[in-house]
Amino acid sequence: MAEKNKGAKTTKKSQLIALSAANKQYSFTNPLERVVKYKGENVKIKLYEDPNGFSYVLWKNKKYPLEIIEKSQNKYTVMLNGVWHSFTVETPFSLKRKKFLESQAGTSSSVTIDAPMPGKIVEVLIEEGAEVKSGESLLILEAMKMQNEISSHVDGVVKKIAIRQNDSVMKDDLLIEIEKS
Amino acid sequence: MKIKSILIANRGEIAIRIMRTAKQMGIETYAIKTAKEPTAWYLDEADHIIDFTECLSDTPEFLDIERIIYTVKENKIDAVHPGYGFLAENPVFARRCEEEKINFIGPSSEVIYNMGNKTVAKDLARKYNVPLLRGSKGTLLNADYARRMANIIGYPVILKAAAGGGGRGMRVATNEAEVERMYHLASNESAKAFNDPSMFIEKYVAEPRHIEFQILADKHGNTIHLGERECSIQRKHQKLLEESPSPALDPELRKKMGEAAINIAKAVGYYSAGTVEFLLDADKNFYFMEMNTRIQVEHPVTEMVTGIDLIEQMIRIAQGEKLRISQEEVRLEGHAIEFRINAEDVQSGFSPSLGTIEKISWPEGENIRVDTGVRDGSVITPYFDSMIAKLIVYGETRDKVLQDSTNAIRKSWIKGTKTTLSFCRAVLQNGNFRKGNFNTSFLSSELKIHYHSEPDEEMLAAFFAVYDYARDLEEAEGKKLNVDKGKNITPWLLNKRLR
Repeated sequence: MAEKNKGAKTTKKSQLIALSAANKQYSFTNPLERVVKYKGENVKIKLYEDPNGFSYVLWKNKKYPLEIIEKSQNKYTVMLNGVWHSFTVETPFSLKRKKFLESQAGTSSSVTIDAPMPGKIVEVLIEEGAEVKSGESLLILEAMKMQNEISSHVDGVVKKIAIRQNDSVMKDDLLIEIEKS
Repeated sequence: MKIKSILIANRGEIAIRIMRTAKQMGIETYAIKTAKEPTAWYLDEADHIIDFTECLSDTPEFLDIERIIYTVKENKIDAVHPGYGFLAENPVFARRCEEEKINFIGPSSEVIYNMGNKTVAKDLARKYNVPLLRGSKGTLLNADYARRMANIIGYPVILKAAAGGGGRGMRVATNEAEVERMYHLASNESAKAFNDPSMFIEKYVAEPRHIEFQILADKHGNTIHLGERECSIQRKHQKLLEESPSPALDPELRKKMGEAAINIAKAVGYYSAGTVEFLLDADKNFYFMEMNTRIQVEHPVTEMVTGIDLIEQMIRIAQGEKLRISQEEVRLEGHAIEFRINAEDVQSGFSPSLGTIEKISWPEGENIRVDTGVRDGSVITPYFDSMIAKLIVYGETRDKVLQDSTNAIRKSWIKGTKTTLSFCRAVLQNGNFRKGNFNTSFLSSELKIHYHSEPDEEMLAAFFAVYDYARDLEEAEGKKLNVDKGKNITPWLLNKRLR
């Protein structure tokens, strides 16, 4: 332990921040140590794996099962007690840079509607160039024998329709691109 | 005639459920193996396996009437139990069984036809003075006719598949502009799901409770009810949580509705287990909706409060036995809630979550029942519906059940797929649900966030992301973790404390 602590101040792992999808910051200092600093306090978060192969956190005498369900570079989706949470893990420096870049870029004017699940396109309800309102149905996707209406979450104009009727799509395939108004 | 062997024309948890009772009764069980899930658990529970893995037609295996009939005859099987869904309410299948002298464990094909066709069922109910909602007398000719009918009835209206059930082929229209689109959506869905696009329309009661009565009737004219099930917690007409008894009923209303349910069953000459569905409005007026001529997904809550095995009763009735229980002998004791655990991503609009269940662990206890068709390594395929398990909690009072349910949900661990467990927690946290004060609009109006996360949970998840990332960094830097032990460990491989 003592050996590790010596270098802790200078390594980039000494402080790491998980940034949630809703831009909430969770900053931890020395996350690999037995005692972690969170919000200025020393906390003990214990991770276990039980004989059945479940990983869980013991926190305030309660067990919370957890697993990493997606991980690519610094992007994480962690399932904890049946609810998933998405984060990007940042260093204080990368977080600063990220914020700077975002302030420079402004907000993108085009949004994409991706397939929320694998399935088949039953019907496309709009055309390219059509004006759509938030909540308006764009197409019908059949999955697990249910017909699901996929609707727009923004107001705008349909820029591109990437699929046609009877196409099969995979999860996260691009369906429709909308230029925000 | 005593049934010595049964083919279960179904899969998943209900196949296992039926086989459990059949075995207790000393009946041999046959299951159908499909190429879509050749290693499914229900196959291990059967005495004999019929191989349908070779694809002979475009008809899905569990809908292939002639192939199933041929199989039953070829193997000299006495009876068929259809479970729910698939051919359970298909009058053609029941009739083919009758023609071939196969004991179909359910009502007669004529009753299935009459009750399956919602318009015929409503005409019968009208005749026996059971209250009904305003609507079309027969099926609708087309979308335009639907629009004109809707204008007469007044909005909102609901378009329903005449052959429907389980929430499929149903759409609500709140104005004239929506009617035609909703008609086509529901009709297409119905054509695919039930092979019948015909629709009917009726007045939509915006915030009703969904109350259904369990019926048991033998072939000798004896009909009883086993109390009600409250199924108001639904999403898009799909039930997610059911309980018995309903917090909304008192003994007087239960008696009145129970009698109405028995009248409908008697009117059609019903035998076997069946369910009569009602809507109950805010003023406690009830309206007959439909009769389901099969075992229901949510039948366990009735079994828990009555102590009666419904599958056993169905088999006995099919054998021609008389009911051994009279209405007076039916005792509703305690309270039971069933939680449907679906492989769905609650946080992404309940979209199906496919994949492999790596690990699964259920709570155990005297008052806990788990009906499931999946285990470690089971694959969730897109071919079948997303329900993977039913967790049923029983107790003396509703309050006790709510308390025990919170613990039971907490002890239900599933790794590898997203499930509706987080939704169950959200429902259990809701004050109005706990008070018994809810209706079918619960999800859209009351429960704004469909999953529940305790205050520290996001922080703990955040910590784990940071922890894993830091480990990866350290590894990338070539450092050895736990130098004292001389080996590199990952959080996923250690069978003891990690930190």
